[in-house]
Amino acid sequence: MAKRVAPHVRTFDVAIIGAGVVGAAIARELARFDLSILLIDAKSDVGAGTSKANTAILHTGFDTVPGSLESRLVSRGYFLLRDYAREVGISYETCGALLVAWSAEEFANLSKIQEKAIANGYLESYLVDVADLYAKEPHLGPGALGALAVPGEWIIDPWSTTLAYATQAKAAGAVLQLSTRVERIAQSSHLHTLHTSQGEFEARYLVNAAGLYSDVIDREFGFEDFVVTPRRGELMVFDKLSRSLVSHILLPVPSSMGKGVLVSPTVFGNVMLGPTAENLSDKSATESSITGLAFLQEKGRKIMPALLDEEITAIYVGLRAATEHSDFQISLHAPQRYVTVGGIRSTGLTASMAIAEHVRDLLTQAGLDLGKQDALPAIHIPRLGEATLRPYQNEPLIAANPSYGEIICHCERVTRGEIVATLASPIPPQDQAGLGRRTRATLGRCQGFYCHAEVRALLESKGGVS
Amino acid sequence: MKKSEVDVLIVGAGPAGLAAAIAAKQSGFARVRVLDREREAGGVPRHSLHTGYGLRDLHRVMSGPKYAARYISKALEAGVEISTSTTALDWAGDLALALTSPMGLEEVSASQILLATGARERGRNARAIAGTRPVGIYTTGSLQQSVYLRHQEIGTRAVIIGAEHVSFSAVMTLAHAGVQTVAMLTPEARHQSYFPLHWGTALRYRYALRTKTKLLEILGRERVSGVRVATPSGEEVIECDTVVFSADWIPDNELARRGSLQISESTKSPIVNHLYETSRSGVFALGNLLMPIKSADQCALEGSSLLSKNW
Repeated sequence: MAKRVAPHVRTFDVAIIGAGVVGAAIARELARFDLSILLIDAKSDVGAGTSKANTAILHTGFDTVPGSLESRLVSRGYFLLRDYAREVGISYETCGALLVAWSAEEFANLSKIQEKAIANGYLESYLVDVADLYAKEPHLGPGALGALAVPGEWIIDPWSTTLAYATQAKAAGAVLQLSTRVERIAQSSHLHTLHTSQGEFEARYLVNAAGLYSDVIDREFGFEDFVVTPRRGELMVFDKLSRSLVSHILLPVPSSMGKGVLVSPTVFGNVMLGPTAENLSDKSATESSITGLAFLQEKGRKIMPALLDEEITAIYVGLRAATEHSDFQISLHAPQRYVTVGGIRSTGLTASMAIAEHVRDLLTQAGLDLGKQDALPAIHIPRLGEATLRPYQNEPLIAANPSYGEIICHCERVTRGEIVATLASPIPPQDQAGLGRRTRATLGRCQGFYCHAEVRALLESKGGVS
Repeated sequence: MKKSEVDVLIVGAGPAGLAAAIAAKQSGFARVRVLDREREAGGVPRHSLHTGYGLRDLHRVMSGPKYAARYISKALEAGVEISTSTTALDWAGDLALALTSPMGLEEVSASQILLATGARERGRNARAIAGTRPVGIYTTGSLQQSVYLRHQEIGTRAVIIGAEHVSFSAVMTLAHAGVQTVAMLTPEARHQSYFPLHWGTALRYRYALRTKTKLLEILGRERVSGVRVATPSGEEVIECDTVVFSADWIPDNELARRGSLQISESTKSPIVNHLYETSRSGVFALGNLLMPIKSADQCALEGSSLLSKNW
């Protein structure tokens, strides 16, 4: 287990910059050893940057570049995260994916993609003819020619994943330092000194998992291995009443017409359409665009016309940390006792636990002595998916605590009991968005119209009676 | 699980649901129960401090909360059972609903079920409006809750999207909160309210009605800084710190759809016959679940009239 450090101690064995899904996974992995660990992030919550707008798919890695680091880490990460989800209660659904071909070129590509899947070690994909495709997805728009089925592609709750890693790391003794921006890093022969908005921290080893800002942190060491270009992805989430329209993740087939968009169920019982892909220069440009939303509606109407007749519940915008390289940019700089984890694409959610193992091994190569290993403390996080029993449906739970029968957020059916428990959790939300990621409150079709005021009052009173 | 039975089960304790419950009781039904998912019955009028409620049904004018309180006490006096903090989750049979509440799970069957679940305004996402996500964006409904129920700080300069009756109500709510309405936008060639209402509010609150003007994008990072709009003479930016999305109603039809009742493609309301009966015998729909949006007194009259037509 990680060393417990007194509150005033500001020197750590390992500091990790960035509490996204990757940074949190690394903190969790290292927390099982006899190390003092600092997980630091500029934002007020874990997973509040790129991680929060992930497309929420547990990828098999079937379409990664064979032989790449990404291929290896996604393939391994898939099984690690699948097992972890079962262990701690992260919602997932085993829906499978269909790569739907809409043109002769796309149709011809399906068998090439199948070969690539095999090269990546994924053997279970199979071709689906047009009749079978429409039998599987009767609401698909007209004009599809066939599909490649990838049954191992699943959907997962991305927010709870990051939260579970961070919660377990913290329970094992790691220090989570949020709302702390790293401004400058000074190096001596054996220590890194992080000058931050909350004072100085020191660490013997440093991991850069800063996502969009990983190149900026790299420059502090004089490395210029890659440049992060924020790639905007806009996603539309449709009303829960649309969930019955879609059974599988409907993936686009790459072709000369460019990359298409996906239509996917979510574990929360919605349907998602997106993402767009647009390179920007501003790392804070998380606004949605007129052209992006129009593009999604046009694409979506072709894939599934009935979906576009449903109400739009939410629009998410994320910035992916794209680089000029296609593969993950994970490198050890042993003399500096420093590991960069950059260029993590949307597959980073699936790969996160395998990335963490890889980073652990790189740190030991640089001389980090892991010390004794202990089992991590068991944790359970609230299951937010629709496929399992929710608190409002749980008779014994309501009998024991009637607040689990008092629905506050009607659209997502989130109860007072869940909100109060979340506010008292080890990593409590700091704002309504954080509460939404932990409970789904205010994220439904009315977008807080009915419960915003009540939720705000609960947040401000930290769960006290409003 | 608890199982119970009533004669008339009504979902939604707004003006339509309460008026229908009172009427059912008066016409002799012994067991009449109204469910509401909110902690208090009364529906939307509870959030609206304007006067103007009750003209056609109660024949006197009062504020929204007083109007709601009148209907609640009339219903209780009539012997109606009102269950608040109670959500109708789904159907448990053709004429039965599954409920959850702090009392636990329950299945209620009835000889008649009335859906009076109301309507809501489409917000910014449902209208697919691009731009940033700053503080200062409301619907008329959420604005009224913030101003009248929570007394929260709103802003100084507002732009209202839409020019229907409820948009003029937003102007008055904003004025109450000390916010100046700088413009009211509609893509149509004219507003969709009564002319005297428009003239009266425009004269009193001095805002510009901008017809043939379409909202393109919301601007501002932390706080709304303005809206970009398309007008017949080109694009322009209107500076403001508050945006109110008004009108553009969508009926709260979840229960109707979960029950696979026939739904109108154009209005998204359940399709009903002249007796307000839906495609399922014994299940009725009324109030703003049908063809929104109507005023509270119209909804209440509709609720009361079910009596003479059905029973």
